[in-house]
Amino acid sequence: MSSSHEAAPSQDFLAEEVRRYHHFIVLALWLAVVTGAEIVLIFLPIPVAAILTILTLMSAGKFFAVILWFMHLIYDKRLLFWCFFAGLALAFATYAAMIMLFSVDRIDTRWFS
Amino acid sequence: MSDTAAAHEAPTSTGIDHKKLIMWLFLASDCMFFGTLISTHLLYRKLFPAGFTDAEGHQRFIQNLFNVELTSFSTFILLMSSFLMALAVSAMHKGQIKSFRRNVLGVIFFGLIFLGCQVYEFTHFYHEGLTIQNSVLGSTFYVLTGTHGTHVAIGVLWLIMMYFYSFTGKLGGHMGALDVEIAGLYWHFVDIVWIIIFTAVYLVEYLGPNGIWGTGLPVVAK
Repeated sequence: MSSSHEAAPSQDFLAEEVRRYHHFIVLALWLAVVTGAEIVLIFLPIPVAAILTILTLMSAGKFFAVILWFMHLIYDKRLLFWCFFAGLALAFATYAAMIMLFSVDRIDTRWFS
Repeated sequence: MSDTAAAHEAPTSTGIDHKKLIMWLFLASDCMFFGTLISTHLLYRKLFPAGFTDAEGHQRFIQNLFNVELTSFSTFILLMSSFLMALAVSAMHKGQIKSFRRNVLGVIFFGLIFLGCQVYEFTHFYHEGLTIQNSVLGSTFYVLTGTHGTHVAIGVLWLIMMYFYSFTGKLGGHMGALDVEIAGLYWHFVDIVWIIIFTAVYLVEYLGPNGIWGTGLPVVAK
């Protein structure tokens, strides 16, 4: 699985790890606050379209915060980001294509029942 | 990319460890997999907003079944497990094996709590009459959240094995840190999928008096 006879990490590397450690703590607190805000938001008496837009932005923010910092994409090679982004783009494209194919105003759901 | 990352560049044509590259490609493919499941659930919710019929023949709505407190708690637990996983990876990079073990135990514990919540939720829904067979909603909901739960269970097993493996003394150095980082990538992925499921499957059901999809009942003019 791995070999243990390797050189100890350099001072620069350790300093970088300590800096990341603080980023992780701040991010964890931020994620907890945003999740709390999402729960409060759904019970607020404001238009549904506005809530839906804010919820989408909040979850997209949480999603990218986790992949960029917790998953180290911001520190790693760009290639990894594009590899993952390709899958993500295809996933969204699938949803968009299905929305268009199954436009609810035109489909006859009696077929299924 | 930072200088410290460059100092640990792998001797490959891309400069990225093959294990790590393969893991990211797997996650990209898993993204498409979950994208399809989430799309299917959302589309069928829109096409069949009526919910399900329980064993006694009563029409039931999912809005009355979901428990936002429980799901929020599960979400919080999973987010915090992701935080602990990031700390575990950081500890391994610094060569602090004891700190790694502590954090991984935390991740395992939180993962088990999440799974416990899901088992409770599934059992509750089943007793309320929502089964995988009696409605389109049941089929898409159980398949989606069940697949996610299976991913969590696999992650927990992986981390348990890694925890015990660390006692053999073979989980050390750069390669050991890489192995932990790859397990961490998988765990974080499970977390980001839940971030989407939490919003797209659970929270949207609370928007408006009857959820975003409505009840499927004809609108009566007042």
